[in-house]
Amino acid sequence: MDTATSFALIAPELLLAVSSLLLVLAAAWGGDKAARPVTILAVSALFGAGLLLWPVLHLGKVGPETWAFGDLLRADAFAGFAKALIYLAAIGCLVVTPSWFDRMKAMKPEYPVLVLLATLGMSLMVSASDLLTLYLGLELNSLAAYVLAAYLRNDSKSAEAGLKYFVLGALASGILLYGMSLLYGFTGTTSFAGIREALSGEMSNGMLFGVIFVLAGLAFKIAAVPFHMWTPDVYEGAPTPVTTFFATAPKVAAVALTARVALDAFGGQVDAWRQVVIFAALASIVVGALGAIGQNNLKRLLAYSSINNVGFILIGLAAASVAGASAMFVYLAIYVAMSLGSFVALMMLHDEDGRALETFDDIAGLSTKRPALAWCLLALMFSLAGIPPLLGFWGKFVVFQAAVEANLVALAAIGIAASVIGAFYYIKFIKVMFFDAASPATVADSTRAHWAVLGITTLIVSPLGYFLTRSFGDLGDKAASALFLLP
Amino acid sequence: MIQTIAFYLFAVLMIASAVFVITARNPVHSVLWLILAFFNAAGLMVLVGAEFIAMLLVIVYVGAVAVLFLFVVMMLDIDFAELRAGFIKNFPLGIAIAMVLLAELVLGIGAYQAGALQLGTPDGLAAPMADRSNIESLGALMYGRYLILFEVAGMILLVAMVGAIVLTHRPPKSARASQNISRQVARRPEDAVVMKQPTVGQGVEL
Amino acid sequence: MIGIEHYLVVSAILFVLGVLGIFLNRKNVIIILMGIELILLSVNINLVAFSAFLNDLVGQVFAMFVLTVAAGEAAIGLAILVIYFRNRGTIAVDSVDRLKG
Repeated sequence: MDTATSFALIAPELLLAVSSLLLVLAAAWGGDKAARPVTILAVSALFGAGLLLWPVLHLGKVGPETWAFGDLLRADAFAGFAKALIYLAAIGCLVVTPSWFDRMKAMKPEYPVLVLLATLGMSLMVSASDLLTLYLGLELNSLAAYVLAAYLRNDSKSAEAGLKYFVLGALASGILLYGMSLLYGFTGTTSFAGIREALSGEMSNGMLFGVIFVLAGLAFKIAAVPFHMWTPDVYEGAPTPVTTFFATAPKVAAVALTARVALDAFGGQVDAWRQVVIFAALASIVVGALGAIGQNNLKRLLAYSSINNVGFILIGLAAASVAGASAMFVYLAIYVAMSLGSFVALMMLHDEDGRALETFDDIAGLSTKRPALAWCLLALMFSLAGIPPLLGFWGKFVVFQAAVEANLVALAAIGIAASVIGAFYYIKFIKVMFFDAASPATVADSTRAHWAVLGITTLIVSPLGYFLTRSFGDLGDKAASALFLLP
Repeated sequence: MIQTIAFYLFAVLMIASAVFVITARNPVHSVLWLILAFFNAAGLMVLVGAEFIAMLLVIVYVGAVAVLFLFVVMMLDIDFAELRAGFIKNFPLGIAIAMVLLAELVLGIGAYQAGALQLGTPDGLAAPMADRSNIESLGALMYGRYLILFEVAGMILLVAMVGAIVLTHRPPKSARASQNISRQVARRPEDAVVMKQPTVGQGVEL
Repeated sequence: MIGIEHYLVVSAILFVLGVLGIFLNRKNVIIILMGIELILLSVNINLVAFSAFLNDLVGQVFAMFVLTVAAGEAAIGLAILVIYFRNRGTIAVDSVDRLKG
């Protein structure tokens, strides 16, 4: 394949790279005054990159015509679907950021640039079909994310969150890398196709260790139990817009990457990793549900909720079938909407002085003070709990259906039981907001950008969202069949 | 023979320095041990014929990374006496877990007996060129097949640069250094002096 | 000629030492960053040794990228450490406890 075709295939990434380079310059010359224009330009760059994905998604492209640079990158329907979700999530996060940081006069033009660069890294991650691309994309994303976590540099919680995220993230990268080096040695190649071929024969111990180390490193990145312990601390300590970003876009990228590695590179040895994934899925669901119960801080609570959701997503992966992968992507799309919405709602909770209200005591009786916000949160929480009329139920339903079809009935049963436990703390949220005596804290007005994002996500998770299920399912099927290389 | 001796020399020195890196009480000593470990690792790489990576390791790690570490250790005014007082907790347990992990790695990979390892078979596209040096073959690969990844590596360094500046750069305090003469001249007594006639026992509010 | 096993054992020891440096350390965050560097060094030794024994240069290209990323990672890690120190006045590991629950 010639270079021009390859460049055409990675057009979205090129657009992101060029615009982030230009915006770095704009940020350097414009100073802090340029923060808003740079944010707007970054959002439009992401939007443009998203538009470039349209043909790939629409035609459901798959196969060698999507391989760029000699199969270092694949711009197939699967990558397209993940990228579309990532760009949308990044746009949502960027739109709500400036007014939040303005409250503490911390908005700098470098923030959108770093988000753009992180998004570029995620884009590379989800289209990677070679260990080298995977590693570089992952690190581009992670390095930007470490900086974002510590972004409020005068806030000791933010600095501590950055430090924790950095140490554990770098350790995870090290474990992942050690696994990749073993895979390279024992299979003789770094390309996913080559690894798949080498693994489909008899698996040596060296290969097995490589697979385990790579999966452990990826589990860190998606925050699956037993590698989840950084999540609550980082989510609590990082500034809320950054937490919103962490809970959405990088989560999609890491989950999509895990799916590609497990089903493509390790696709010949499903039995070798299925038990591990089932364990991680169940443990994440249970730990996410139980860990959330004692929490008073809402950001920590949502962190446990995201661990819990990753467990449900992994059930789809454990099925290791086209239906399972498709269910996983549908769940992922719904999860992004729910998660974005609930974190934006948290961002809107602050008093007149700009102090964030992020504990249960602060939001007591919210329904009397800000009824619209309280009702939106109610919809989002019921959706996260998977209560039927809302879209969150659909996500859980397709995942469990895929698990049952793949003869993982026990897994599905335990998952359903655990989601009932999980419903407890979502309902506590509702009880505190609607039935408790109002707290003295006043809740200040929010900007239009916040309302817009909250409104859109609430609409998506509301029963109206079922109109989307057909196109979600369709796109999910296309993405899943690209992963299994079906035309 | 010489190669075997060199291997064991480098390997033993490297592992010993790595042990000192994590146990030294003074962080400055740790950095110096780290530098020694990197030098020995470079030696190991020269032994297998990867001269370029070995030189790069010395230049990048010893020249940049280790110096960066030293710089930060010196810049942060750390109370070494306080840090020395800390004792490594859970030491025996940690050592035990480390031993188990090491045994698993070595036994699991099967590296405990010579000649038993079944390495993969590469596709041969990236084999070193016959009559060229290591650096020439590497260059051809890096600027050919992996050109796009080379560019991505550039973006990663850009992120590191932007990130480090965003986090640590503080705008210079202009008031201390600069003298604005026109402002000094334009200053009038009525802006600078406040006349007060305080009543007894009330105090003055400025 | 020294066999590949020797290199793998050396790099496994180095990897374990790096992990040990991260988990055992209670004194000083800088040592943790150095532990990460040790892990990356062990990966590099693995990659270069495999590359030599497979007669395939991809491992060395990989090692170069790892080196690049490690340099960037060290810069970011130390920057975060500096702002942590400015906020708290210490870098003892025991002090990293404000976020708990």
